[in-house]
Amino acid sequence: MRKNTRPRGVLGIVAVAAVIALSASGCTRGGTNQGGGSNAASPGITDSSITLGITTPLSGAIAGQGTCTVAGVTAYFGALNAAGGVKFGDGKTRTVNIKSYDDGYDPQKSLANFQQMVSDNVFAATAGLGTPTNRAFREAAISQKVPQVLVMTGDPLFSDRKQSPWQLGFVPIYQNEGAAFGKLIAGSGQPHKVAILSQNDDYGKGYVQGFKDAIKGASNVSVVGEQTYEATDTSVDAQLTQLASSGADVFFDAMSITPLAIASLQKAQQLGWKPSWFLPSNTSSPAAILGPGGAAAYPGIYSVSFAKAPQSPAFAKDPDVVKFLADLKQYAKYPDMPAFPHCMWSYMVGATLEQAFKTMTEPTRDSFMTALRNVKGLQAPLMLSGTSVDTTTDGQPAVSSVLVQKYDGKGYATVQNFG
Amino acid sequence: MGTFIQLVVDGLSTGSIYAALALAIVLVNQATGLINFAQGGLAVLSGYVAYAFVQAGLPLVVAIILAVALSFVLGALAERFLVRRFERGDPDTAVVVTIGLLTLITGIIAVIWSYNNLGFPSLFPLTSVDILGAVVSVRSLATTVTIVVIMVVLQLLFLRTKLGLALRAVADSPASSALSGLPVGRLLMVGWGLAAALGAVAGVLVAPQLTLTPGMLDTALVYALAAVILGGLSSPIGCVVAAWAIGVLENLVAVYVPFIGHDLKIAVPFALIFVILILRPQGLFGRKVVVRV
Repeated sequence: MRKNTRPRGVLGIVAVAAVIALSASGCTRGGTNQGGGSNAASPGITDSSITLGITTPLSGAIAGQGTCTVAGVTAYFGALNAAGGVKFGDGKTRTVNIKSYDDGYDPQKSLANFQQMVSDNVFAATAGLGTPTNRAFREAAISQKVPQVLVMTGDPLFSDRKQSPWQLGFVPIYQNEGAAFGKLIAGSGQPHKVAILSQNDDYGKGYVQGFKDAIKGASNVSVVGEQTYEATDTSVDAQLTQLASSGADVFFDAMSITPLAIASLQKAQQLGWKPSWFLPSNTSSPAAILGPGGAAAYPGIYSVSFAKAPQSPAFAKDPDVVKFLADLKQYAKYPDMPAFPHCMWSYMVGATLEQAFKTMTEPTRDSFMTALRNVKGLQAPLMLSGTSVDTTTDGQPAVSSVLVQKYDGKGYATVQNFG
Repeated sequence: MGTFIQLVVDGLSTGSIYAALALAIVLVNQATGLINFAQGGLAVLSGYVAYAFVQAGLPLVVAIILAVALSFVLGALAERFLVRRFERGDPDTAVVVTIGLLTLITGIIAVIWSYNNLGFPSLFPLTSVDILGAVVSVRSLATTVTIVVIMVVLQLLFLRTKLGLALRAVADSPASSALSGLPVGRLLMVGWGLAAALGAVAGVLVAPQLTLTPGMLDTALVYALAAVILGGLSSPIGCVVAAWAIGVLENLVAVYVPFIGHDLKIAVPFALIFVILILRPQGLFGRKVVVRV
């Protein structure tokens, strides 16, 4: 008997939770409709302020990157708010408030966070990191007509206007990055043998697809070994041993896991395999990965970027970098040198949003989306010259141009040629 | 052939990580009859404590010794003030308590040290030596040797010392042990303390490779539990051998059995557990639990 009552108890809790969630979302939708006419302000925006929400991992394995996605945009608008606010396209000046929600990289939590945002009267969700977590509330955002924009995922789905009318990705899609590597090596004119290790999901597959498309028809490049690993693996030693025996001189390590990237750099050295490396922008941090991994032992570590690296001596006195670090410290309570590029990306998200705010003519989500899809040629602070924000092309994220860079022992410097 | 030997050697070094944790689990089980799911969490905490000592300027060896000692105290206290209340009850309840403890420890670590990966210095250099055409890093060699030493010491402790006998007696039958004058409470604390200290060793051995994060040993814990079941809950040697076997088998199967590959290899040890438990329910090296009627 006792056993029979247990599941019912659980079901009861689930049922009650569902009822609460439903009634919460029902209430707010009622609130939205009460306004009536198309000129009425959307939720989350008043004559003096606008509220943005970020759901992102603030705990768990990706928390370092997640914390950065909040810090950058908070720093950017913190500085603007201190100077009086942003002058919107409708002539009113508003301060920008940021509300952050921890999803721990858990899709169920990010969906719950989105519902919370709706009941907290958030105007738009932005800057959140994570493909599964952003996917989890994509449909809810579409059905409730809440913008989910400039999110940190390389998933192309978010930049497809037909499928994702209220979405826009910020960072280059995985394919953009993979293609940049492919183009560089195909253009070298030298014969190269490539080994590939990729994460067994859309992330890894996207990189590999972009790379392979770019080397198609290039007779000087051949893929001699291809392995995969699971995101939950604690070791990729066996894969590296296998790939090392392929004799490849270029290694494309499409990884998203920090400790595995460090361990790979160490292991290949021990095996006496010293190829040139291609690393995704996610796992190419000089401070967090290349230093501990002993990357200086390799002939070259290549990654792609569109952001100036504050750690790099080349940018130490760059005015963008100096202001960025000061804003980060003062307004986002982030005193350290950022170990992840997500801090810079999120700062650029701030600049892109500001641009859209300046041109939106009505305080509505519709008007915001129209304005946001019209940003072109914006050189946001911290962007490398040669890259820019362009939201006007369907199928491409806000930033789709990347530059290949080579590790110089401390930071990265842009390169034109391989070798 | 070179690749084969390399895969075996790599498997042994990965297996050693699982083995370290498995030994701690066996120790607690031998001393208290429980499976402690928080073992991995405690080990990670010890790693962070050692990290804090290193940050404070202490030499690495001193930091590690202090962390191991502190872990002994922490383990004993956790037993005395938390687990003790559930030991006499339903074993299922105690297991859930240890899982809760794991979550709690992970959370506490995250609050203090954040989820960022922290680099932990290694006692051993990253240089490597050539053995039979395989490259073996001094670090993983030293890890393996340390595990073997601990395993032998534990085996001796349980089978050859009075303390070991007392620990086993308490685990077997707390009531009869108390009647024959053994300080049951203190022995239980010692058991947990020893296991936590052992976990601390595991933590600092692994931390340089995995980098310190609160969930550093979560996956390793699953493998360690598999090794414990496979090797037999009562046998330190058994669980180490099983852990090595899992590490090696995984690698070989992934590379040489194409339809399994690197994506399905995690299923291999668990398929093995099914087979072995059907043939030998007490595990490869375990003793049968015999109940006299």
